[in-house]
Amino acid sequence: MRLTLHGIRGSWLAGVALLVPGMLLSPVITLAQTVPIAERLLLCGGCHNSDGNSAIPENPNLSGLDAEYIHRQLQDFRNGARKSPVMSGIIPLVDEKEFEALAAFFSKQKPKPGGAVDAKLAAQGKEIYDEGIVGSAVPACSGCHNDDGSGTEKYPRIASQHAAYVVQQLTNFKSGERANDVRAVMRAVAKRMNEKEIRAVAEYVVTLKGAQE
Amino acid sequence: MKQAVAVFMILQMLPWQTASADMADAVKSPKGYGSKGYVWGKLLPEQVEVLKLNGDAVRGKEAFRGCRGCHRPDAAGVTDGTYPRLTGQHASVVIKQVTEVRAGVRVNPKMDPFSAEHAVSTQEIADIAVFLASAETTRENGKGDGDYQAKGKALYEKGRCSDCHGRRGEGNENKAYPAIAAQHYGYLKREMDYIQNGVRGNSHPDMVKAIKHYTHRDIEAMADYLSRLSDYRQSGAERNAE
Repeated sequence: MRLTLHGIRGSWLAGVALLVPGMLLSPVITLAQTVPIAERLLLCGGCHNSDGNSAIPENPNLSGLDAEYIHRQLQDFRNGARKSPVMSGIIPLVDEKEFEALAAFFSKQKPKPGGAVDAKLAAQGKEIYDEGIVGSAVPACSGCHNDDGSGTEKYPRIASQHAAYVVQQLTNFKSGERANDVRAVMRAVAKRMNEKEIRAVAEYVVTLKGAQE
Repeated sequence: MKQAVAVFMILQMLPWQTASADMADAVKSPKGYGSKGYVWGKLLPEQVEVLKLNGDAVRGKEAFRGCRGCHRPDAAGVTDGTYPRLTGQHASVVIKQVTEVRAGVRVNPKMDPFSAEHAVSTQEIADIAVFLASAETTRENGKGDGDYQAKGKALYEKGRCSDCHGRRGEGNENKAYPAIAAQHYGYLKREMDYIQNGVRGNSHPDMVKAIKHYTHRDIEAMADYLSRLSDYRQSGAERNAE
């Protein structure tokens, strides 16, 4: 049903999917067409907002992320290296040729500042983010993602990302459900964190502003 | 029952527990010291590769990002010794340690994922090594309480530790013997314990032999002494001024 939100093409494909589940992948891929970015944003924007600042905390903000990072995630969703119940349904609708332009578009959008709901939890998260947890060998997040969460060439921006999304991703890294971290580093880190620490860090990450331009 | 609990709690508070708690997560290396065919300093294939490369400190500073979550942005480690100070360490030592951790010769579960090939390339190891060797130390290291300095100095000299690690704890770049002066007290103590117990996988057999007869107190005294030495890169005048 979710697909019907995104126009006629989507709902038609959903019908195909229901009728011939075994043939789901191949017809969809061949039917994916390159469309202008404005039209494509109707699809992506449904969840991520057309400016990449999603209104739903479970869906990640894409604004300001490194273009290469977004591109790689799209490819990973396409080839199955990264799994998501939502994106697995959406990604076959998009032509791979569009990935680069989409990544560049969202990368250029201005991130919207986020705020913590629980200030006390965020303060605990800051401690972990800046200093790590020495006793359980959790490195400081700031080491790779920078003090302000702006990320680097190798590690993605996480500043002002929705807490609910960060919790979900860290939980997925911890369980190994998400395993497309090129360096397997994030899985190693998340495995050393408990649920409470994950929630605290996420509550702090959303308050980070990233590099100020 | 209550008495038993009380006795147990008191036992836990005794100093010797510190050493055994550290030892609890240490394991003998299947490829390292004590295993068949282990030869200290025999070059691993990757070490041959690294030694052909030119390291670059600017690139190394960037590549060090993946390390600084633990070793801290200034590379001076954590004062309690959980993570060692790396500033001023010889490039040869950094190369030897990183490559041997990732080859599984030195077993180090904490560092393992971050030193694996997918996290740091061979070129980046060379770069990081050059960066660290020249990195300034701007923060005080963790020191022992100072009570056993004199004893530590005497033990260090009597045990001829300086034959390899130098009179000022400066180590030896050419031989990949680490600089140990001004290292964190907690780290010096832990590694000496590991070496003595044969669980630092890339120990030099002579080092294991040399440290064999020291008591835990002796090790603490030497760690105290070494932690209170100044950075070997300081000039004599700077040292005297302190």
